[in-house]
Amino acid sequence: MSAELLHYRPWRGTFHGPLSASWPIARVALKMMFRRKLFWAIYALALLMFLMFFFGQYLLSWAESQADESGVRIFGAKVAPGDLIHGLREVLQLNGRKGEMYALFFRFQGYMVMVLLALAGSMIVGNDFQYGTLPYYLSKPISRVHYLLGKCLAVAVFINLMTTLPAIVLWVQFGLLDTWSFFYQKADLLLGIIGYGLVLTVSLSALLLAAAVWVRRTVPLIMAWCTLLFFCRVLADALVFVLNMDWRWRLIDLWDCTYIVGTWLLQADPGPRQPAIGWAASILVIVSIVCTMYLILRVRAVEVVK
Amino acid sequence: MIADRSSVTAAVAETIARPSFPVPTMDMGRDERPSELASPVLLFDHVSKWYGPVIGVNDVTLELRPGIMGLVGANGAGKTTLMRLATGQLRTDLGTVEVRGISTLKAAAKRYVGWCPDADVFYEEMSGRQFVRVMAQLCGFDRREAKRRADEVIELVGMNDAMGGGAERTLRGYSKGMRQRIKLAQALVQDPELLILDEPLSGIDPVGRQESIALFHQLARRGKCLLVSSHELEALEKLTDQVIVMARGRIAAVGTLPRIREMFDDVPLAIRIDCSEKRRLSAALLELDDVSGIELGEQATLTVRAANPKRFFKKFAEVVLEEGFDVQHLEILDDSARAILGYLLAGTAHS
Repeated sequence: MSAELLHYRPWRGTFHGPLSASWPIARVALKMMFRRKLFWAIYALALLMFLMFFFGQYLLSWAESQADESGVRIFGAKVAPGDLIHGLREVLQLNGRKGEMYALFFRFQGYMVMVLLALAGSMIVGNDFQYGTLPYYLSKPISRVHYLLGKCLAVAVFINLMTTLPAIVLWVQFGLLDTWSFFYQKADLLLGIIGYGLVLTVSLSALLLAAAVWVRRTVPLIMAWCTLLFFCRVLADALVFVLNMDWRWRLIDLWDCTYIVGTWLLQADPGPRQPAIGWAASILVIVSIVCTMYLILRVRAVEVVK
Repeated sequence: MIADRSSVTAAVAETIARPSFPVPTMDMGRDERPSELASPVLLFDHVSKWYGPVIGVNDVTLELRPGIMGLVGANGAGKTTLMRLATGQLRTDLGTVEVRGISTLKAAAKRYVGWCPDADVFYEEMSGRQFVRVMAQLCGFDRREAKRRADEVIELVGMNDAMGGGAERTLRGYSKGMRQRIKLAQALVQDPELLILDEPLSGIDPVGRQESIALFHQLARRGKCLLVSSHELEALEKLTDQVIVMARGRIAAVGTLPRIREMFDDVPLAIRIDCSEKRRLSAALLELDDVSGIELGEQATLTVRAANPKRFFKKFAEVVLEEGFDVQHLEILDDSARAILGYLLAGTAHS
């Protein structure tokens, strides 16, 4: 080893700002996840769900185009093909013109996202605290905020890869199968999809990072995550539908809160006995702020004297 | 003479916390600006840091300039806290820490600092080269420059595949020594002026250790400031004779090892002397005021305990020349970093 080997020339270029460091941090986290076979298995399941919607839409549109004017007999009754397909669309909620289809898609994908994030949390963030990797990041010219942004960015990529991006593909597909006017008539749906994705991204990434920093290890994190999102859902349903308690008890189900806000953005019906959008949005904002404050405090206390 | 060790510690800390020893003059390298030469690289100004009721660093004032400075102290003395404050990872409760006049909490200051922590767990699936590249990108270099710099520092620390280093292998398969080298590479990647190294020689084989020490010396000659924390005091002595001794969150002493040793007036220096006329020499030395005791060893060896080393050696030379003693061997037995650290820690424990 010899320092004479160093050929550093004075750096004449412009240093990228610390904000740009968030992407390398996210990329490292993404690479670590992409190396896991389990990730691809869960992603394949999520993709299966997407393909059901995708080909369902396609099949109905194809059937619509093939049907002639003559009626179709079902249980002896003559039904017009257009009415039949319209009915099927409503029953299966495969109507790309309505927000309900996208809300349903987000709801189904959400289960996969929850499982995936439970696994990803400890790997993306928990390990940094558990094994002491964090000082490497914080010794470089970035702040704690940029570190957290990088990690949130990685979580955001996972969430949007499974929810927002396929939902946008479904919207584009329906537009291509329908008429061109769909794209400008239903642009609000696209904004709703992006908004729903944003709500999921912000609330879930803050929640996941806080949970991962708190428990760090994979199995406890999965348990904490399941408690937060699955157990709270069961509890909320039991309180409201079985014990007939106040409908505001549904607010303890954070996933339902994101669904309420999402359906409002998609102008869809959230279902019976749901809290108002204001309540759900407030809960999400409060949870996100609390999680972010906790994260900043935890990241600041890199070293704890025991 | 100072009455006890605790007062020695206090006196040493008081007098030399802001070091007055001559700072080694270094060739500052090609892109140093004259204005930078005047200011210290690292400055602690009355810094204190608490962890709840526990004090990590207690009213530390310190200036570091180019050269190598050792940092020693027992576990819990505050070394890691001091280094984390210097790298901007911890916020001070009192006082300020600056690198080249910029608060260490700012991103601009961190560009001057390379940090090689003690922890050697990284993302195990990444290769060493990928890890260093990512660290370079975090410093703000674009991808091309990050790649170039990563390649250079990997070659520098002897991890290049052509040199049998294994930079392309995943970190999972790295030995302790290889991890040390990669840590050093990521610290050097931004060409920092201040290099803070926590146990950089731990786990490295003897050849690698020699190479690392040579590298640190060369970096110091290029005008870098190195703060090296180590429990391996023998290795640290080979690296530098300038040390900061920490105890209980305070700086117990700063300076060269002999200078710190001199401050221990109440701890007589043990000197081994080999002389063919050891009894006659003993009798002559006992006449000196500074000699507190003499032990006669086997054959021609005697061990002298002298209170004021500087004065003793002056008188000793006069005695030897006047009486014509045949001194074959002269060795100071307890001026090593280990011995000095032992005295200081004993002093602080007593206080």
